[in-house]
Amino acid sequence: MTTNTVAPVLVDGRELVNKALVKWHFVMAVCFMLTSMIGGLLISFQFLDAYMFEGIPWLAYGRVRLLHTNEIAYGFLVNAFLGAIYYAIPRMTGRPVFSDKLGWFILWVWQFTVVATSVGQLLGFTQALEWGETPTGFKPGTFELEYIPVDFLIEVGAVLVAIQFLTSIFRSIHQRLYVSLWYFSAAFIWLILTYVMGNNLPEWVLPGSSGAATVGLFIHDLVGLFVTPLGWGLMYFFVPIILRKPVWSHALSTIGFWALAFFYPLNGVHHFLLSSIPMSVQYGAVISTIAVEIVVTTVVVNFFATMRGSGAALRTNLPIRWFYTGMVFYFTTCLQCAFQTTLTVQEIIHFTDWVPGHAHLVMLGVFAMWLMGIITWMWPRLTGREWYSRALNSWHYWLTMLGVLIMFFDLVAGGLVHGFMFKAMAPWMDIVEALKPFWGVRTFAGAMIVAGQVLWAWNLYKTAHGSMPYDASRDIVQGEEN
Amino acid sequence: MDRVKPILFVAGIGCFVFSVALSGLYPWLISGGREPEHTLEQVSADVTPEFRELKAQFPVKFAAAFPEAAAALSGQELAKLDAMDARRAASEKAWQAAHAKALRRGRDIYIAEACWHCHSQFVRPVANEEQRFGRIRTMRDDNNTLQRPMLWGTRRVGPDLTNEGGLRSNDWHMAHLVDPSATSPGSIMPRYTWMQEKGWQVRATIDSNIAAREGLPEETSHALPGVYPTQAEAEAAMKRLQDAPPANMEEEVERLFVTEAMGPTADALALIAYLQWLGRWQAPVAEGTR
Repeated sequence: MTTNTVAPVLVDGRELVNKALVKWHFVMAVCFMLTSMIGGLLISFQFLDAYMFEGIPWLAYGRVRLLHTNEIAYGFLVNAFLGAIYYAIPRMTGRPVFSDKLGWFILWVWQFTVVATSVGQLLGFTQALEWGETPTGFKPGTFELEYIPVDFLIEVGAVLVAIQFLTSIFRSIHQRLYVSLWYFSAAFIWLILTYVMGNNLPEWVLPGSSGAATVGLFIHDLVGLFVTPLGWGLMYFFVPIILRKPVWSHALSTIGFWALAFFYPLNGVHHFLLSSIPMSVQYGAVISTIAVEIVVTTVVVNFFATMRGSGAALRTNLPIRWFYTGMVFYFTTCLQCAFQTTLTVQEIIHFTDWVPGHAHLVMLGVFAMWLMGIITWMWPRLTGREWYSRALNSWHYWLTMLGVLIMFFDLVAGGLVHGFMFKAMAPWMDIVEALKPFWGVRTFAGAMIVAGQVLWAWNLYKTAHGSMPYDASRDIVQGEEN
Repeated sequence: MDRVKPILFVAGIGCFVFSVALSGLYPWLISGGREPEHTLEQVSADVTPEFRELKAQFPVKFAAAFPEAAAALSGQELAKLDAMDARRAASEKAWQAAHAKALRRGRDIYIAEACWHCHSQFVRPVANEEQRFGRIRTMRDDNNTLQRPMLWGTRRVGPDLTNEGGLRSNDWHMAHLVDPSATSPGSIMPRYTWMQEKGWQVRATIDSNIAAREGLPEETSHALPGVYPTQAEAEAAMKRLQDAPPANMEEEVERLFVTEAMGPTADALALIAYLQWLGRWQAPVAEGTR
């Protein structure tokens, strides 16, 4: 495992891991993370009635909001996940991916689709599908093409990604497949199915309530069947590698897999509770959402049990600290989810800032933090350069962590204020006035997070262009600072 | 391959298909699926009074945006026609065609500007929402083309718009779109300044005797309907009025003049038409069920 940074492992004359692909996916991930987060920070000023680009149509609040959520999903998360699995999958199977050429093709086509998505949204070519506002390219209600059919490109991209990585998994040199590969294999299939379903059924086939049910499935499956299995798989891969000890329980990890596969996709309708979707379907979604929270404890318990006895790593090992923080937030957000999905809590919190608070904790506080940990661990090994500044990495951690924490508590509290004032029949503008202080704190927290990412990006850049070589032999020493 | 088969087929495809059947197909089958989607023509057939009013308020822009409405007549004009006059049917048909086009275009703008990310179209039977926002829409109400993709939304930074139609005037909506805090002090809604454009307008100064009697300042003027793209067109319109003044104009108006003014864009007209339609249409009782 550790020889990779010394001499590349060759399989049939090909490098096992194509480090350039890993690196470029990470570079693009960080770029899109920055643009998305800066967009998010800018539009937060709209809530304070101080948005500096007001009056410019293509920088209007509504359009930049789409850029914020879509670039995080398709620009940051997908790129960072692809980079990480370009490393993880060949290491676990002993076989390279299908083709390096295909890898470069996917890389650039993917960046094109992300840019086309953002440009399309800024110009007003939007699809009314939450978290999938990627332009269909067709004139609404017709089959007249008026823009790049981004949806279609992403569907093709998802199929190519599946071919690229499943080839390596099919040819694995090991008798039994490690659980991370289970999660990854299923995630490739789920991504294709989720994307095709979500971008076609509500758009072309199902109106109203039936459409809402599938939109709910899409929003949730994108999190549950793509982001979650890749995130869990990477945790099951990187935690043992960095700590140099096996996971606490393989049985628990496989139970977690099957439970996730069964329960997670049944949750979708919980995004539209108390609606005109048949009540039986809504109750089913509530029950399976609570079941998912039990499923989630498998990965949480496995992580903390594996961590036992390695507590010192939290101080010395930044990637492990990222993972640990993400795991604490994961437990928090999932516990929150089990409560907020009940109709009693839904009555108050739905439609309020509570929901963006929850969403930021799960996407930024959990999955982005795990990916930041992974990128932080891999960057010196990829570039072969020693960190430009470890202090900047520390700043990155504390600014991001505290920023997320402040934003979460602020939005959740604001959501409760909104929900209870609403139920008490307070005039609408009174609610808006009451929320303004919360929105001010949110902008402050957002500025902290963006500052952290800018420092990190600067550090990554200076490291890659640094002169001090990375000492690969340090990888063999246990407990070494990373 | 064999090692991955159960994962790909059972977990990957099996569990997914099961979930789509249970939470996507099942609700569709037991309700909406029995009835075909209501078409744009059906939901737009009942032309809202506000849409007819848009033509009177902004005749120039309206004619440019909705040429279908050329034969559409106002209530006053229709009153002059016989009950059996063929122009009546033609007029209503023209109104409906223009209305359908406006709703579709208005909804597209509603999506493009991501209005639906801050305004829901989804009233729930809890938290006093019915008292605040009005009638709850049924599954059948939403089973229509303008709710595909559906626009329920998941966040309310602004109020719900399910039953917005007819609540406020066209002028209110126009002023609100361009500067929300003008109509709703403290509002944080973006100013959609590109929903208006510069043009030329005919204004009439009120007769000085009437102004003095009513205690109005001298030179009090009001705008006549229509914002023209060029000064020449506005002046031509003024000349037409001077040459053949309407009945009440001679005594009330001292003089006419042309001035620069802001008017709605075609997009704004369509968006207002859409907002004024929201909640107006309800699914008729299903055939053969009563």
